[in-house]
Amino acid sequence: MEYVLKNGIVYDPANKVAGEKKDVMFKDGKIVDSVSADAKVLDVTDKIVMPAGIDPHAHVAGPKLVVGRIYRPEDSRKGVTHKTDVTRSESGFSIPSCPSTGYRYSRMGYGTVVEAAVPPLEAKHTHEEINSIPNLDIVPLSLFGNNWFVLQYAKQNQIEDLAAFVAAWLKIAKCYGVKIVNPCGSEAWGWGMNVHGLDDPAPYWDVTGREVVTALAKANEMLGMPHSVHVHPNDLGHPGNYPTTVSTMDALKDIEKNSTVRGQTMHLTHAQFHAYGGTSWRDADSGADHIADYVNKNDHITIDVGQVTLDETTTMTADAPMEFDLYKLSGLKWANKDVELETAAGIVPVIYSGKAPVNSLQWAIGLELFLKVNDPWKVCLTTDHPNAGPFIRYPRIISWLMSNERRQEMMDNREVHPWSHRRTSLASLEREYDFNEIATITRAGPAKIYGFQDRGALTPGYNADIAVFDINPNDIDPSRNPEAIEKGFSTAMYTIKDGEILVKDGDIVKVVKSQTLWTNVKGMEEQEKAVMERVMPDFTRYYTVKFENYQVHDKYLPNPIVTEVQAGK
Amino acid sequence: MKTITFNQKKTSQIALEFDELIPDEVYNWEKADFEKYMVPIGNSRFPLTDYFDIEVDGSAEAPEEVKMILNGDYGRVKYIGTKMGAGEIIVNGPVDLHCGSQMKGGSILVNGDAESYAGREMEGGSLTIMGNTREFCGCSYIGDWRGMNGGTITIHGNAGKQLGECLSGGSIYVKGDCDILAGIHMTKGFIQIDGDVTRWPGGQMKNGDIVINGELGRLLEGFVQEDIVENPEIDGKDFSGKYIKYTGDIALNGKGRLWLDAEKNRHLLY
Repeated sequence: MEYVLKNGIVYDPANKVAGEKKDVMFKDGKIVDSVSADAKVLDVTDKIVMPAGIDPHAHVAGPKLVVGRIYRPEDSRKGVTHKTDVTRSESGFSIPSCPSTGYRYSRMGYGTVVEAAVPPLEAKHTHEEINSIPNLDIVPLSLFGNNWFVLQYAKQNQIEDLAAFVAAWLKIAKCYGVKIVNPCGSEAWGWGMNVHGLDDPAPYWDVTGREVVTALAKANEMLGMPHSVHVHPNDLGHPGNYPTTVSTMDALKDIEKNSTVRGQTMHLTHAQFHAYGGTSWRDADSGADHIADYVNKNDHITIDVGQVTLDETTTMTADAPMEFDLYKLSGLKWANKDVELETAAGIVPVIYSGKAPVNSLQWAIGLELFLKVNDPWKVCLTTDHPNAGPFIRYPRIISWLMSNERRQEMMDNREVHPWSHRRTSLASLEREYDFNEIATITRAGPAKIYGFQDRGALTPGYNADIAVFDINPNDIDPSRNPEAIEKGFSTAMYTIKDGEILVKDGDIVKVVKSQTLWTNVKGMEEQEKAVMERVMPDFTRYYTVKFENYQVHDKYLPNPIVTEVQAGK
Repeated sequence: MKTITFNQKKTSQIALEFDELIPDEVYNWEKADFEKYMVPIGNSRFPLTDYFDIEVDGSAEAPEEVKMILNGDYGRVKYIGTKMGAGEIIVNGPVDLHCGSQMKGGSILVNGDAESYAGREMEGGSLTIMGNTREFCGCSYIGDWRGMNGGTITIHGNAGKQLGECLSGGSIYVKGDCDILAGIHMTKGFIQIDGDVTRWPGGQMKNGDIVINGELGRLLEGFVQEDIVENPEIDGKDFSGKYIKYTGDIALNGKGRLWLDAEKNRHLLY
């Protein structure tokens, strides 16, 4: 089937198209240069046309989502809708049901979402859950930062063996890239402890976060992975944590990049939670300047923000000791999970309120990061869904980024606590994003960071993943109309995925199965075999499952998209 | 004034859901509107008139002017009066789950027993149950930490487990006996139980008052006996006789107050 999106105003930063009135054509699921006269014409005159959105960091599938849903039924009763002829019923706000997750991203014009924390032991379940999320391509990242075998290889600085281990484990878990969460800290949590800073060793391991992050980054480059290491540094959410964050970024400064499809060697995730100054919550202030300054001066780093949206939400992370701290602060309920030799997890509900000084400070720090990182290709829009707020708030964040007037209004009329301007520089930042920058931080930038060669741009040959929004950029001043911007980006006029129209005028009109992206590393088969033989005695001794039941077989990925890379090249 | 009367024709094994049939929604409905209304049952809807004969007398300009009289066995009808803001509902028979839940105003009188979750998350108005009620009366939604925060619930019979769980405002009166963990997690508000209580009232309570005029079977260890008070004033109400005053639950640094009739609870004195 051939289509022409006629007369739209196109924002396609990867192809340096910024607000040009032109047609976009696609055929058989791919973007094309031309179509025949029989092509179906979709009139999108003066509407915004962009590549479909890519969420570079969210938590949408996996055991902690299930635990969250089980222990927060009060969240599941929000957002309930009846089934339609096309969709199933929806439920949930911060932890929506699997179908709701797919529908809601699709309505916002998104096509790809990264599930940022998959413990290999729980990968089977995660893939099963991914299969029940419709309309999205999902990119799972596997957790390595507290894996016992990784700690061992990092301690002995055996980078080649570590690379082989990572290559083998990505095949086992069917994941796309390497995620590191609070390196050594989640292992310490097994002893009821945490590590503080990059050089605090894991108990009984004599290995530090610095050694783990550095070793995994070297291994990642040795494998030529499409994505860099994806790092959630130590000390998340602690006042005065920005030096740890800067140290972590700096530790990877001299790692040699081995990829032509991305620019960075480290992606710092939910940077807002890692950008705090002060010594306690009493004197906490913004460390965004230090983070943004480092990102501006160094090309090996990209970030996503994890913007606080001022909602009641559910925090969930493999940083289990941090969740315990949060539980002690909030006094609300807490769920804790141990994942054997790999990681841990915690879940705590949080009410981010504009009346609360700390939450307002967090809100302002997130916006500072967006506005102080000069190059939009280095920063991505996320809420670390659902940790800082649900993903359905992305349009609202876009409206804040495009309107200084709205930001000032929120501070002036006390929608947010005065800490938002007394302890940050947000009030002095007049920068406003334009539509092209919005397209960069939500589409082109994430695609480049993940090394995608088939999405994130309207390049002929790429997947026809396209979003059309009922916004005329020549007829609206985003600075003065934040409500219209939020409304416009909340419901796409069209969401097109692989050439199929899934959303029309904000309604789901078609539901398709999800696809799963994973990375298959070639060229280290012998080393992988040797490593497997070496780790298997410990695996058999310490895991509660047999290896035959551990690995994710192909049947768990009915719709895989495999990225093959050649190690060392 | 408008009076809407439901006379039951038959019951259903699967519960009917009445949350759309509150004075706020139906004050301007005529008989024909009820006749074409499809009531939710399980995952389907069926004509309301399959189950009830409906009479409408008078007219109303606002929900406050509506009285709904429900005659029959409503033991398989859920959500009666849910989210109602005004008006009056009288049920002449038993009711199923969630009667008066999230109620904001108006009144409900149940001339019979009420199933669990009566008055859940109630914010205002009054709910009177002439019979017994089961678990979680005046509680929070499952998993939530925010329970009833306004209004009054009066139970003339007995109450089940976890009465007033997470109570943060409003008053609950129980004329009969009460099962375990009344007022668990409560942070504010008032509970008065005139009959006996099995065990553990006020577990993990942080504030508020619980008065027990009957005999308490067992007290939690987190309550500290403060004093014996004669004719105390509790939550603005005068009580006569001697009461043992406890504070707790100290397990959570709670400052809640538990008042026990001294005569009937001599076994707990030390």
